[in-house]
Amino acid sequence: MRNFEDDPTLEDLLTADQLQRLNRMLSALCREPVEIGSARETDAVALEFNLETVGWLSGGSSEQERVAAADLVAFLMMFIAKYRLAANLHHDTTEASYAELQKQNEALRASEARYRALSDQLQDKVDEQVAVIKQAQMDLYESARLRSVGQLAAGVAHEINNPIGFISSNLKVAGDYVNDLRELVPDTDQNRELLNDFSDLIGESSDGTRRIASIVSDLKTFSSIDQADYTLCDVNELLSSAVHLLQTEYGHDVDILEKPGELPKISGHPSRLSQTFYNLLDNAAQALKLRESGTERGRILAKTTVTSDGIQVVIQDNGCGIAEDIRERVFDAFFTSRPVGAGTGLGLTVAQDTIRAHRGSIQIDSREGTGTRVTLFLPVS
Amino acid sequence: MADHSPEDNRLALKVVFYGPALSGKTTNLMQLHSLLNPQRKGELMVLETRDDRTLFFDMLPIGLKGDSGLDLRLKLYTVPGQVQHDSTRKAVLSRADAVVFVADSQTSQQDNNATAFGNLEENLEKVGLDIDTLPMAVQFNKRDLPGVVDEAELQQRWANTPWSPLQMAAALHGKGVIETFRVLLDRLYTEVDREFALETGHGIDRDTFIRQLSAASEEIRA
Repeated sequence: MRNFEDDPTLEDLLTADQLQRLNRMLSALCREPVEIGSARETDAVALEFNLETVGWLSGGSSEQERVAAADLVAFLMMFIAKYRLAANLHHDTTEASYAELQKQNEALRASEARYRALSDQLQDKVDEQVAVIKQAQMDLYESARLRSVGQLAAGVAHEINNPIGFISSNLKVAGDYVNDLRELVPDTDQNRELLNDFSDLIGESSDGTRRIASIVSDLKTFSSIDQADYTLCDVNELLSSAVHLLQTEYGHDVDILEKPGELPKISGHPSRLSQTFYNLLDNAAQALKLRESGTERGRILAKTTVTSDGIQVVIQDNGCGIAEDIRERVFDAFFTSRPVGAGTGLGLTVAQDTIRAHRGSIQIDSREGTGTRVTLFLPVS
Repeated sequence: MADHSPEDNRLALKVVFYGPALSGKTTNLMQLHSLLNPQRKGELMVLETRDDRTLFFDMLPIGLKGDSGLDLRLKLYTVPGQVQHDSTRKAVLSRADAVVFVADSQTSQQDNNATAFGNLEENLEKVGLDIDTLPMAVQFNKRDLPGVVDEAELQQRWANTPWSPLQMAAALHGKGVIETFRVLLDRLYTEVDREFALETGHGIDRDTFIRQLSAASEEIRA
């Protein structure tokens, strides 16, 4: 590609026709005909332009004549070259500007296409969001329904408590009576068998009532039927009672280490906080059960500390941990890794809701096979 | 972007006079044309002007022959300084081997200097050149006018740039023009010698290069 600034050749400056005309005109001026060419003839004079020899002038009657003619040609070429240079530069810059405009045009087209694509996607995005909102509504409805079922259950539990009380005490008295009867009836094989069976029946019934009482007590714990409004509560006390409740549930197979720190009282919902602590402790106890055999003794740590703007509750276990693939879903309602009927899948959901209602946060760190640590943060104000 | 053709043993270098509008680029070139008497000197070509302002460019070819027969040419170009001729400036600047930046010393023109310098940097980048490595001389012209920025202040302002010290000139009176050109030749020689071995390959040492290309005319010396 030639640049505008490349040195012009004789052909660049003059066409063959023009060169012939120039030769004729110069010859008319000179005594002998002269000729301009690109080949160097003997006694030819160089035609210079821009320090460049662009051709040779020969012929003429004398050296003086040739030099005069060459000077005239050089003078003329200067103006031809000027025009050429300007024209070439103009051509170059026009082309460059055009290329730049085209590039800008392309960029504009690309951006227009992008916006068009975006506007096409807009409907899809709206549909997607509508689906999300619908799902959220369903979830809300579901949780409200669940809450009312919970309240019903709690009400029923409360009503069952009284009859269960007297049934269990009556069964205890009935058992004593059976023992009394052993002294009174004649000691035959048939009587003995009858009384043994009677005693077993009463024992089984007592077990049954104990289980009913336990279920009722659980229901009362889990429902918030007797909830009070927000009050100042002592987190250490709430945590401690949850620990005791858990210990009665699981017996003394689990070591629970309590490390209460000096805490300010915070405004909160005592029964919901208790339930949250209980849920987390229960999860920890379940994790200990699933621990690989042969490892060190299962332990749960329940620790509280005060931070600059709130209090921190840590519940940590060295149980089975949470598998990585389900870690993201642990807060999802009705998600449970336990066998059917063993867990509702609401423990952590309720815990998270409660902590959020207290404007706090909940964080879970877990490693499968090593243990889990749940950290709750509750602001003081 | 020196244009070297080994078969003809020719080396063409391009020097561009850049700067804001009316800073005296064409005046610099006209003065060089009348003051210089280098080994070889061509005609000064002044392309289209309107109201004394450059529309395309001006060009002055000068040259020297080396011991090896090397035909060394220097083409000195000016660019149009007016903002609207940017694509012309870019076309002239492309493949430049060195730049003389002609700034206007008048206090009122300092913003224009800065804009033009930024434009130079930008255009150099667009044509694939780097302002930090390109040989360049900076001249503050029009020292003869009243209301110019103090030289000490200018020198101090540019002290930490590769182009310090600045050249002061009054091009209209031929002052500082050859000096600026010599500073440029000195910086240009370093680059060209490195690439084309002027001294070892063609017997052109730094002194010859500068002296032969910037020899002042006899009548000026007299």
